Amino acid sequence: MATLTDVISRPAGQSGLWSWITTVDHKRIGVLYGVTAFIFLLFGGIEAGVIRLQLAVPDNTMIDPDTFNQMFTMHGTTMIFLVVMPLSASFFNFVIPLAIGARDVAFPRLNAFSYWVFLFGGLLLNASFLTNQAPDAGWFSYANLTEKPFSANAGLDYWALGLQVLGVSSLAAAFNFVVTIVNMRAPGMSLMRMPLFVWMTLITSILLVLAFPVITVGLIELTFDRNFGTSFFVPEGGGDPVMWQHLFWVFGHPEVYILILPAMGIVSEILPTFSRKPLFGYPVVVFSGIVIGIMGWAVWSHHMFTVGLGPVAVSVFTITTMLIAVPTGVKIFNWIGTLWGGSIDLRTPMLFSLGFIALFIVGGLSGVSHAVAPSDNQQQDTYYIVAHIHYVLFGGSLFGIFAGIYYWFPKVTGRLLHEGIGKAHFWLYFIGMNITFFPMHYLGLNGMPRRIYTYASEFGWDNLNLLASLGYVVLFVGTLLFILNLVVSLRKQPDSGHDPWDAPGLEWSISSPPPVYNFATIPQVEGIDQYWITKRRAAAEGHPITEPEAPVDVSTIHMPSPSYWPLVTAIGTLILAAGMLVDVGWDYIRFPIPFLGGIIAFIGIVGWSNEPAAAEHHDGEHGDGDHAIEHGATAVMDRPGAARPAVRLLCSVCGNRMSSDFRFCPYCGGAVENPDQANDEEG
Amino acid sequence: MAHHAETGHPTGHAPAVHAEEQTTTGINHRKLLMWVFLSSDCLFFGSLIATYMVYRGQSLVGPYPVDIIDVPITTISTFVLLCSSFAMVRALAATNEDNQGKIQFWLLMTAFLGAIFIGFQVYEFNLFRAEGLRIDTNLFGATFFTLTGFHGAHVTLGIVWLVALFFVARKGRLGPRTALDVEMAGLYWHFVDIVWIVIFTLLYLIGGFDTGPSATISIDPSVLGFL
Amino acid sequence: MGLLPFRGADSLTPRARDDNDNQNNQNGSQGKTAIRGQGRPFRTRGLALLGLLGLLFLVMACAPDAKQSTFGTAGPVAEQQLLLFNVLLWVMVAVFILVEGILLYAIIKFRRRPGNDELPPQTHGHTALEITWTVIPTVLILALGIWSVFTLFALDQPPPGADTLEVTAVGHQWWWEFEYPDADGNGKYITTANELRVPVDRAIRVNLRSDDVIHSFWVPKLAGKVDVIPTRNNYMWFQADETGTFYGQCAEFCGTAHAQMKFLVQVLPQEDYLAWADGFGEEPVLTAQAQAGQRVFQSTGGCVVCHTATGSDSPQVVAGRVQGFMTTETGIAPGPNLTDLATRERFAAGLAEVNRDNLRQWLRNPEDIKPGNYMSERASIYQTADGRVSLSEDELSSLLEYLLSLK
Ligand code: HEA
Ligand code: HEA
Ligand code: HEC
Ligand code: CUA
Ligand SMILES: [Cu+2]
Repeated sequence: MATLTDVISRPAGQSGLWSWITTVDHKRIGVLYGVTAFIFLLFGGIEAGVIRLQLAVPDNTMIDPDTFNQMFTMHGTTMIFLVVMPLSASFFNFVIPLAIGARDVAFPRLNAFSYWVFLFGGLLLNASFLTNQAPDAGWFSYANLTEKPFSANAGLDYWALGLQVLGVSSLAAAFNFVVTIVNMRAPGMSLMRMPLFVWMTLITSILLVLAFPVITVGLIELTFDRNFGTSFFVPEGGGDPVMWQHLFWVFGHPEVYILILPAMGIVSEILPTFSRKPLFGYPVVVFSGIVIGIMGWAVWSHHMFTVGLGPVAVSVFTITTMLIAVPTGVKIFNWIGTLWGGSIDLRTPMLFSLGFIALFIVGGLSGVSHAVAPSDNQQQDTYYIVAHIHYVLFGGSLFGIFAGIYYWFPKVTGRLLHEGIGKAHFWLYFIGMNITFFPMHYLGLNGMPRRIYTYASEFGWDNLNLLASLGYVVLFVGTLLFILNLVVSLRKQPDSGHDPWDAPGLEWSISSPPPVYNFATIPQVEGIDQYWITKRRAAAEGHPITEPEAPVDVSTIHMPSPSYWPLVTAIGTLILAAGMLVDVGWDYIRFPIPFLGGIIAFIGIVGWSNEPAAAEHHDGEHGDGDHAIEHGATAVMDRPGAARPAVRLLCSVCGNRMSSDFRFCPYCGGAVENPDQANDEEG
Repeated sequence: MAHHAETGHPTGHAPAVHAEEQTTTGINHRKLLMWVFLSSDCLFFGSLIATYMVYRGQSLVGPYPVDIIDVPITTISTFVLLCSSFAMVRALAATNEDNQGKIQFWLLMTAFLGAIFIGFQVYEFNLFRAEGLRIDTNLFGATFFTLTGFHGAHVTLGIVWLVALFFVARKGRLGPRTALDVEMAGLYWHFVDIVWIVIFTLLYLIGGFDTGPSATISIDPSVLGFL
Repeated sequence: MGLLPFRGADSLTPRARDDNDNQNNQNGSQGKTAIRGQGRPFRTRGLALLGLLGLLFLVMACAPDAKQSTFGTAGPVAEQQLLLFNVLLWVMVAVFILVEGILLYAIIKFRRRPGNDELPPQTHGHTALEITWTVIPTVLILALGIWSVFTLFALDQPPPGADTLEVTAVGHQWWWEFEYPDADGNGKYITTANELRVPVDRAIRVNLRSDDVIHSFWVPKLAGKVDVIPTRNNYMWFQADETGTFYGQCAEFCGTAHAQMKFLVQVLPQEDYLAWADGFGEEPVLTAQAQAGQRVFQSTGGCVVCHTATGSDSPQVVAGRVQGFMTTETGIAPGPNLTDLATRERFAAGLAEVNRDNLRQWLRNPEDIKPGNYMSERASIYQTADGRVSLSEDELSSLLEYLLSLK
């Protein structure tokens, strides 16, 4: 077996496409996650646009009902599984190792694997459009509409298999981050000194670890029903469609906290930074996060208040659900406590964070009104719910994520995002989202059900629907502005410096973009907000910190080497799942292609486990799998040991300018020129 | 008080190149990974078992468990699987003692006992098929084959792993310093074993005499939340 | 080492505070009081105006007159649910104004002024405050929660001793069938479709069944929705306090034409209801043309395959048809009972008014009115190249005549 890896040489490229394909660097993987998920956001946003266009006027016949059903199904599925979750994962990847003072995650190659599987899962799901068989039963695809007699085409197979693949990705990533956070904190960083974002990531990852297997089983049973003639959810065979609802929501409710907790973590980082004040009631905020994570398991049937579970069960779920408002409220109040008496700087990240709080309160309060079962009976499956969804998911999760993008962008690229465009983006989003989604409360209460592709004028929903559709235009322009901002900022914005916000987190103590090895010396942690401690002590001692940690000769630090195997294994996983779509109808093996995928995945795993984590052998322990941060070999990117002050460099491919001494651009991998030497126009 | 790192690293783990891997908790990364994975797998089997229990006695047509389940035979295969766990323990002990011969023997023995268990399962599946129970026959067939099938797949994976370890052992690369490699396989193996005990108890000892819909109580899934 | 002002227990140590002051002084400020005083004047009047406008909007957009508005209740069940919602709403509005107000106030008051570089006081928490804002919401929520549990139990069953009329609503993709096991109190069995007729001021218990997928029975002005699930014998009840037409709609996504799975509830005075029930299924008076239409209707492979127009379908007939249809791969149910079609306000599950033009359009090609419906999908007369009906204009006209005399 070892021969296999010996024959295929190690990827060695440091730049260009290959370096990205084989990368195991958590920062690059973070960027990959972010870019991919952002593109999916545009997909999901365009699907939303089709929905809003169709509903702008009554009796519209722009698209037929089946297309509409595909649109909201793919919109919901995309936004949740391909946008918010991976965007959060993008922050986990980029920020967590930096925030806990580590050189990488615990299992860098597993991390690369997660990304590739996510990408393939997303592509598999969207490939359904190419065959005109996009899933069309809603993002929670209630059985038994999903069974063969009612959904004959392959749409729901794409859906089930795509989610299955995405589940593999999420689980792999969650395993990785639990281990990384539990095990790789810098010395002195006790649990109660962890930055809030790290805490929320830990809780999110644990929720993922425990919630995803449940949907996995549900999807397996659905796939078996559709392809092997079982009747898990088929009434005629004795099965119960309500069982699917239980399985889905036992996963689905923790899932919504998986979607919001990372955003809450991000906001808990940003508010203190821009108020120049530590987070108010840190232990309480941590604890309320834990409580939300636990209570999230006891409320799932609030999505099933109209199923007829009986008043006893419904009462219990009403009360447990309502009580979740308490820990969430505690968080809100502590955030306001953080602002109180602070010195609030309304930069774009802060605006998005404040927007998050303002909008999430609205979504949370409508959530509490759903929790009351008798009143939910009038709200369930109406636009009132759609309003709730978007206040918590768009106003909540996505605003939190955009706050994070504006906040950490300078760390990722060394550039600040343009402040003016950023503010315009914020206001368009803030106003646009209220125009789009606030009217939906009324639409719902005035009787408009969700998931209807058309409505008659006689019900009085015309005006508010038109208003909502106009709001979409504002959001659309806002999104374009953000794209513009990315482009402009990467090319034109000045060097951000390593610590543009005077931030408290460890990640701000190193250069922007960070060197491959992150920290030359692993920091010693003395309290929460370590970098504030360091900076203020230095200032008090009369030598304020203005420079990031000085770079070191990279060959003295052992980093994991790039690898093909995660990609090979991911391809195997994709073929394994996608092969289930091809029923060849042979007697014994109806689905031969998955075996091929299985074999490829197996080869990938064998290659993976036989490959030392780093390219050059040294006589450390062998067999110590993936984690070779402390005892690997040479680094991915070779940094010349040049000392500060750094020269300004320009990427020949994407035009990124960087302050530190890179030979290759940290986010496009292109070769780097020194404009000072090339031509001396910039002073 | 609250601000003490739970494990002090006075020197930090910065460039500790050739030292033992340093982790915040002192637990090795891979071992922790295995624990996290197993907790996830618990929920996986938990959901499959929950489906089985909810649909217990709900099959509209036979064969029902009472017609088919053969407790004595499965008791034997269960016993074999239990023995394999014992063999696994011996393999780990041998690894820690650096007794190369015994490492190989016990690893192979564990895999072999696991294979016997799988053999029993293949036999049982074929027998059930012959008696008219297929995965699409009724709810019993669906839940039974799905649950025990995924368990069997776990055992098979474990066997592959153990055999791979056996080959590693043949090269003399297993010993006290690499005991973790064996321990990981052990954790997995014991977990799969424990899951089987649960399955055996629920599907064979308790559910083995179930009949059609009227005879047994059904569990409303919504009450599961309050257990 | 490490005793500088970071969050935690050491915030109480004297040195931490010293350093804090040092920082402030270094930057040349006068300390905490100065910062506190720096906020901009709070624009109370503007805010109050804004709030008022907001409230106005809130009230205005609740349109109790809208046909499916949950605000325009007409029966005790919907009223109770609305009452609960209204109380919740105002509590939520209060919480909203309070919390968002404080948030806004904090943002405005504690804005950093240009050139202000000093560190604000580094507070870490306030135990009493934190307990307060945990306990108050908990109490509030428990109070609301307990009340909702009472409402929940109260609404579960019709009031004891009430003289309830029992009906069964069967959800089909994508229309509703209604069965009255005892329509007139003398055991008369009626099946009709898409229009539920009930007497005013009487509790109606609706048993909910489905032959295919999950639907949800919802008449916003009369009661909240309850799902119609093939494996469950769900039920709900409502009572209408006034006569009139109430609009209902399937609320659970159930496939292609989910948007158009509507229905009407006709609340009639007691006498009118009884008159309808008694008259149901009586031989209609047919003109010659209508008789020709009847022959088309009853011809082999014609409408009778799916529809009845001569009184109630016996349960056996219904079951037989369901059987017949369900064993085909698509699992659809038979068509609506057309016995009292001409007396109905609408057809095709609440979509179109019953009149000659609409019915003609429906018969020419049901797709034009309701894309995806199973009539055009399955009836042999529509299996033509362009999906249009294969009947001649003559046959159509007489069929229409027949349908319009079904009263
Ligand atoms: C980010 C995701 C997210 C989050 C965080 C939440 C948060 C909450 N959700 Fe939401 N929910 C969804 C995403 C989310 N939800 C989605 C996607 C659906 C629809 C699924 C579908 O059908 O497609 C849904 C549906 C949904 C339903 C089902 C409705 C139905 O279909 O009939 C219910 C019912 O109880 C509910 C309740 C709640 C509650 C009580 C909270 C609470 O956690 C909110 C707590 C927050 C606050 C209350 C605000 C702040 C608190 C204070 C300021 C303190 C003071 C407050 C009080 C005293 C009340 N949600
Ligand atoms: C994070 C989650 C998330 C987000 C961000 C959104 C964002 C939006 N959603 Fe969505 N939504 C859901 C999650 C989300 N939604 C879910 C879970 C459902 C339930 C699905 C179901 O019922 O199954 C739902 C359902 C849903 C409905 C109800 C459909 C129905 O029931 O029939 C509607 C209707 O208006 C809607 C609208 C919108 C709009 C207008 C946006 C806007 O905010 C979108 C803003 C984005 C853009 C404006 C992007 C613009 C694109 C560009 C600028 C591209 C430019 C092009 C190139 C560069 C090539 N959503
Ligand atoms: C294959 C079965 C089938 C045949 C044959 C059929 N129909 Fe229908 N019909 C349906 C179904 C199903 C519906 C309900 C459609 C919907 O609303 O989704 C329906 C609805 C109707 C309605 C509206 C009923 C209501 O309550 O709203 C009328 C009127 C009607 N059909 C008339 C006819 C006539 C006249 C013929 C013969 C020329 C005919 N149908 C043949 C299945 C059939
Ligand atoms: Cu029936 Cu929606
Ligand atoms: Cu929920």
